[in-house]
Amino acid sequence: MYPNASEVKANLVEGPTTIPIDVKFSSKYSLLIRSRNGNSFDPDTEFSKLVLEREGERIELGRCRILPEPNHEGYAGRLIFTRDVYDLESLLFHNKLVRLQNAFLNLPLILAHKHKISQSFKNYTANLTYDLSVYKNLFDSLDAEYADEPENIKASLQETIIAAEGRKFMAFLDDKLQELARIVRNFSREEHERHGFYFRKQLWNFIRCAPFMARTNLKPRGYAGDSEMMSMIYANDYWGDSTFAKLLHKHPIEHPAAQAVRNRRHVIGKIIEAMKSDGCRNRSGKQKILSVACGPARELEDILLAADDCRGFHFALLDQDRAALHEAAKLVDQIESKLNTHIGVDYLNESVRTMLATPQLKTKLGQFHFVYSMGLFDYLTPPVASAVLGKLYQLLKPGGEMVIGNYHISNPGRHYMEYWLDWVLFYRTEEDFKHLLKDAPDAEVDVFFDDTGVQMFLRVKKKRKMDSDSSFLPAEV
Amino acid sequence: MTRSIKFTLKPRWNEIEKIRNRSRRFLASHGLSDDNVQAFTMVISELIENSVKYGKFETSNNEVIVDIQINGKTVTVEVINPVDETVYTHLKALDKTIQWIRGFQDPFEAYVERLKAVAKKPLDDDDSGLGLARIAYEGQAILDFFLSEDHILNVSAVSNP
Ligand SMILES: Nc1ncnc2c1ncn2[C@@H]1O[C@H](COP(=O)(O)OP(=O)(O)O)[C@@H](O)[C@H]1O
Ligand SMILES: [Mg+2]
Repeated sequence: MYPNASEVKANLVEGPTTIPIDVKFSSKYSLLIRSRNGNSFDPDTEFSKLVLEREGERIELGRCRILPEPNHEGYAGRLIFTRDVYDLESLLFHNKLVRLQNAFLNLPLILAHKHKISQSFKNYTANLTYDLSVYKNLFDSLDAEYADEPENIKASLQETIIAAEGRKFMAFLDDKLQELARIVRNFSREEHERHGFYFRKQLWNFIRCAPFMARTNLKPRGYAGDSEMMSMIYANDYWGDSTFAKLLHKHPIEHPAAQAVRNRRHVIGKIIEAMKSDGCRNRSGKQKILSVACGPARELEDILLAADDCRGFHFALLDQDRAALHEAAKLVDQIESKLNTHIGVDYLNESVRTMLATPQLKTKLGQFHFVYSMGLFDYLTPPVASAVLGKLYQLLKPGGEMVIGNYHISNPGRHYMEYWLDWVLFYRTEEDFKHLLKDAPDAEVDVFFDDTGVQMFLRVKKKRKMDSDSSFLPAEV
Repeated sequence: MTRSIKFTLKPRWNEIEKIRNRSRRFLASHGLSDDNVQAFTMVISELIENSVKYGKFETSNNEVIVDIQINGKTVTVEVINPVDETVYTHLKALDKTIQWIRGFQDPFEAYVERLKAVAKKPLDDDDSGLGLARIAYEGQAILDFFLSEDHILNVSAVSNP
C-alpha cells in the first residue's frame, strides 16, 4: 500500500541532547522508531522536537513522546506527537504538512457567522427545534412500543399512526413554513443565506433523518436535483427508518414545488403524445427529439406505450451525469423488452456548459422536431441561459418547437427549498424568461404554466419560411 | 435601462491593475455603494486573473474581453478568453467547482471548505484555489460559464439578481 514507505533519518531533540534515529511510517498519526546509536529509550520520555531529514530537506515537527513497544518489527516503539498532531501519511507520501487541528483554524470564522442573526429568527428556530424534538420523541416511542410485532402488523400500525397523528404533524410543518415566510419576508439575499446556514446548523439532526432532505443537503453527486432526488419526488411515498423520518421525508415531496416536478413530466409527455399524429418526420420516417439535461428520462415510459410509438421517434438524451444516463438507458431497455421492439436513442454524456463548443453538434446530431429541457434553466444565469437557448434554437428544424422549464419567481416553496433543503434555484419572471432568446426573428415565443403555477415553460416555435410569409402550405413530409 | 462598458486587455499581469481601476471608476460612477464597488472590483479582478492564468492565447487571438453591465441593481460581468483542448481538464474543474459552490445556499460554506483545503495543499503549489469561492462569498455574486463554438470561454458573475 505504501511502496515508498522506506525509513527516514531523523533526530530527536530535547535541550542539548540529540538522539539520531530512523523513523518509519506506522499509522496516520504515529511513527515507528529505532535508535541509530544503539541506545534504548525510557518509556514516556518527551522530546521538544523531531527533525526529519529527507532529500536534503529538514522538516521540523514539534513535541513528541515515545510509547515503547519492544521488538515490534525490530523497532523500539512508536513516536506520537503531543502538541501539534501531524498527519504523517500526508507528510511522508504527499509532501503536505497537515495538522489534525487544522480544522480548528476556521473555528472563529464559523462561530462568528452566527452574528447578525435576527432575534425573531433565533426564537423561531429555537421553538421549532424544541417542537421537533417533542414530536420525534413521541413518534420514536410509538415505534419502540410495537417494534416486536410481526412485520405486516408493524406496517399496518405505522400506516394508522401516519394517517392520524402523522398528518397532524405535517400540518404543523405547514404552519411553521408560513411563519418562516413571515419572518424572512424582507430579508436581502445575503440575509437569507446567513439565516439559512444558521437554520440548517440548528436543525441538522432532524434534517438528516429524512432521506430526501439529507440528500438535497449533502448532494452526493455534486449538484442538486440528481436522478435519485427525482426518483424520490416521483415516488412521493413515505421513506425512512422511522415514522418520524418517513413524515419528514414525505412533507417536502408533497409540496406544490415538488408536485410541479411530477406535473412537468406529464406536460412534456402530452406534447410528445400529440406529435404521434403529426405528419412531420425525417427521411427515415421518425420524429427527432432532444432532451437536454435529461436525467433519468422517466417521461419516456409515459410516452412509449406501444411498438408503433417507438418506431415513430428517435431520441437524443444529453446529461452531464453518467449515472443518470445509465438509469435512462436501463429504462429504455425495459421498455424495449416489454414492447419487444427497438428504440432509437443516442446518449450524450456532456455538460450543457461545454456542449456549445462541440463543433459537430449540428452536423453530428442534425436538427430536431422537438427539443425540451425541464430542470436545467433553473441553474443557469442569464448570460449562460441565453447562450444555451440560442444554441438549442439552432438545433431546431424549421417548424420545430422547443419547451424549456424554469421555476417561476413566485414559487411558494422557495424558502422551504432554500432553508431546509439547501436547494437554490435561479428564478425568473415571464419577461426574464422570454428575453433570454435573442436574435431569433423566426421565433414564436410564449410562456405557459403547469397546474400548480410554479413551473413555467417557455415555448419557442421556429417558423418555417412559408409560415413567416403567412402563406399556408401543408407540413413537410 | 442597461449601462455597460467593455474593455479588452492583453493577457499580462501588469494590464490587470489598469482594468481594475477603470472598472472601479465605472461601477462608482453608476451609484453603487463603496462596499459594492469594492466587492465587485474584486470579482472582476479574480475573473481576469483566471483568464490570464488559464487562457490559451495565440498571436491572432490574444485578448481578454471584459464586459460589465449594470441593469437596475444587478451587475453582470462577463470575462471572455480563448482556450484550447489542453485547458479541458481546467474546464472540468471549473464546471465542478462552480456547481459545487452554487450547491450551497450560503457561499460561506464553500469558502470555509476551500480554506480548509488550502491548509492541506503542498507548499510548492501556488494556486490558492480560493478565487471562485471568494467571488461567491465576499463578492456575493453567482458564477456561471459556457464554452462557445470557436473555443471561446465566457465566465460570468451576476450580483444581486
Ligand atoms: N478562466 C478559466 N479558464 C479555465 N479554467 C479555469 C478558469 N478559471 C478557473 N478555472 C479552473 O477553476 C479552478 C479554480 O479557480 P480559482 O478558484 O480561481 O483558483 P486558482 O485560480 O487559485 O486556481 C482553477 O484551478 C482552474 O482549474
Ligand atoms: Mg483564481
